Amino acid sequence: MAAPLLQVQSLKKYFPVYGGLLASVTGQAKAVDDVSFEVGRGEILGLVGESGCGKTTLGRMTLRLVEPTAGKIFFEGAEITALNKKAMNRIRPRMQIVFQDPYSSLNPRFTVERIVGEAMLEHGLADRDRLRGKIEEILEKVGLSARYMKRYPHEFSGGQRQRIGIARALALNPRYIVCDEPVSALDVSIQAQIVNLLQKIQREGDLSMLFISHDLNVVKRVSQRTAVMYLGKIVETAPTPALNANPAHPYTQALFAAKPAMDPKKRGRRTILGGDVPSPLNPPSGCHFHPRCPKVMDHCRTTFPQPVQIGEDHVVQCHLYG
Amino acid sequence: MQSLLSIENLTVSFDTEDGTARAVRGVDLHVDRGETLALVGESGCGKSVTALSAMRLISTPPGRFESGRIAFGGKDLLTLPETEMGRIRGNDIGMIFQEPMTALNPIMTVGDQIQEAIQLHQDKGEEEARALTLEMLRKVAIPSPERRIDQYPHELSGGMKQRVMIAMAISCQPSLLIADEPTTALDVTIQAQILELLNALREETRMALLLITHNLGIVAETADRVAVMYAGKIVEEAPVEALFESPAHPYTRGLLNSVPRDDPGRPLEPIPGAVPNPSDLPPGCAFHPRCGDALPRCRRDVPVRLPVAGGRPGHWTACWLYAER
Repeated sequence: MAAPLLQVQSLKKYFPVYGGLLASVTGQAKAVDDVSFEVGRGEILGLVGESGCGKTTLGRMTLRLVEPTAGKIFFEGAEITALNKKAMNRIRPRMQIVFQDPYSSLNPRFTVERIVGEAMLEHGLADRDRLRGKIEEILEKVGLSARYMKRYPHEFSGGQRQRIGIARALALNPRYIVCDEPVSALDVSIQAQIVNLLQKIQREGDLSMLFISHDLNVVKRVSQRTAVMYLGKIVETAPTPALNANPAHPYTQALFAAKPAMDPKKRGRRTILGGDVPSPLNPPSGCHFHPRCPKVMDHCRTTFPQPVQIGEDHVVQCHLYG
Repeated sequence: MQSLLSIENLTVSFDTEDGTARAVRGVDLHVDRGETLALVGESGCGKSVTALSAMRLISTPPGRFESGRIAFGGKDLLTLPETEMGRIRGNDIGMIFQEPMTALNPIMTVGDQIQEAIQLHQDKGEEEARALTLEMLRKVAIPSPERRIDQYPHELSGGMKQRVMIAMAISCQPSLLIADEPTTALDVTIQAQILELLNALREETRMALLLITHNLGIVAETADRVAVMYAGKIVEEAPVEALFESPAHPYTRGLLNSVPRDDPGRPLEPIPGAVPNPSDLPPGCAFHPRCGDALPRCRRDVPVRLPVAGGRPGHWTACWLYAER
């Protein structure tokens, strides 16, 4: 089997916490704590979790937009964890990101032409003569008219802005795109447009994606595999159909149960998870999920569970399966 | 039976730099005692302005009530003197907002904030009010309320803050609670907790709920009736089962088709185009440029409320497709 497009091993990101009179380091927030996974060629890996679980930090770390505290990142078979800025810049065109907020992620003073075209010039992927034609081509691909080229971001709706953000990511002809909650800020009727668009460009370009979202319904639709994150750890990874049919980790089960059914007849048939997401500053001992877990056992309070394979490509970190 | 809250022909406009934004255009809506009415729509459709109008929390100017009546307990809230309106807010109608982070005062303990609301509306002494505050915190299932009562908002999680907001809103036992996107800022597991709490409180107190949301899953989960709003107008109203089983208005159908459901084989069908600008609305039916079924008259005439043929009682839509030809 060919090497996966992206592979990360034991990635960690600890943010220092300052406190006290002299603002000395008093603790660490373990935003991402010992996470390993891979994204295959042409695969969309969904990454699900609630706010503060570390999914955004993890996504950015795979692009080295956030530097890992420890661990290794391999891209197209080569390690990129320690590459210097210049070497990294040569790789950057092949790895791109689409952000959640289409309002703050576009420079308000740049025209669409410049937003989409600037990086192509910078990386020498187009000369000035052919730039216009290339931009037109990309805009068309994301469903925007070439007439919009001279306009500024404020002249567009949220959905159109997200299309511009996607065009910018596509401009460099990447192999890997991190989509960080790409539809969460959009209206319901527009979300479907963007989901369909991302699926289309992924298919056409044989791209790999890390699709980060808190919305299980969206992830279920777009991803081939799904990883579930809780408080800095990936607690379960499985092919998406298997995860949906047979969620193993009690947290995954709770996430599915919390999702309102789109059917008034199925009302009230769910068990609701109590408690709050704990702070990564002071995570619970043992399995981080144990204070909220309906199936908690004694040793869950003391030891963190090791990954256990329970099906084809289905891995869970939970003592119930030890 | 007389409705608890009844909004008739409400029109609210805002004067902006880009001209007059017609946020709410002739809305008719009623909430009966003890029921949950969900008001659904996308951002900018006027659902929040409708709710804020019922609390008369629209600043005028830039806002303008151009027409309408909001009847509550035999009074028209739009013409009530401010002092009387102040008594109704909190006492009879409570409200919770989307952002529990910004709705609470950061430099007051949560206990003091609830107590202040209680003493403002009820004739209660310091001790009595504090005891009631504690009881309220217990009622909204805040763990160790004796400790939480003296904490500041920043010491509480988002879900906990929303519980405090709910405690404050229900402390005077209002007959109507308006909840404006109460769980949008919260995580899914916390969202489920808050919805369960609202449902339990409603059953216990027989309070009516006007729930404003863009999330159709929440509607399916909590509402008795649903009103769908688009570009300042109610385009469809129905009992909740009827809306999900046989949506009538093309916009409602579009909304339901654009949400991923449990059937992954069914392709997502987005609604083409975007929501129109409220200061530059299309003529006729405001949805016609995005509608696949638009008739010639849709471009010209504003649709009127029409009963859905063969539909359940109370199911109507504002769409020319349902007019007799």
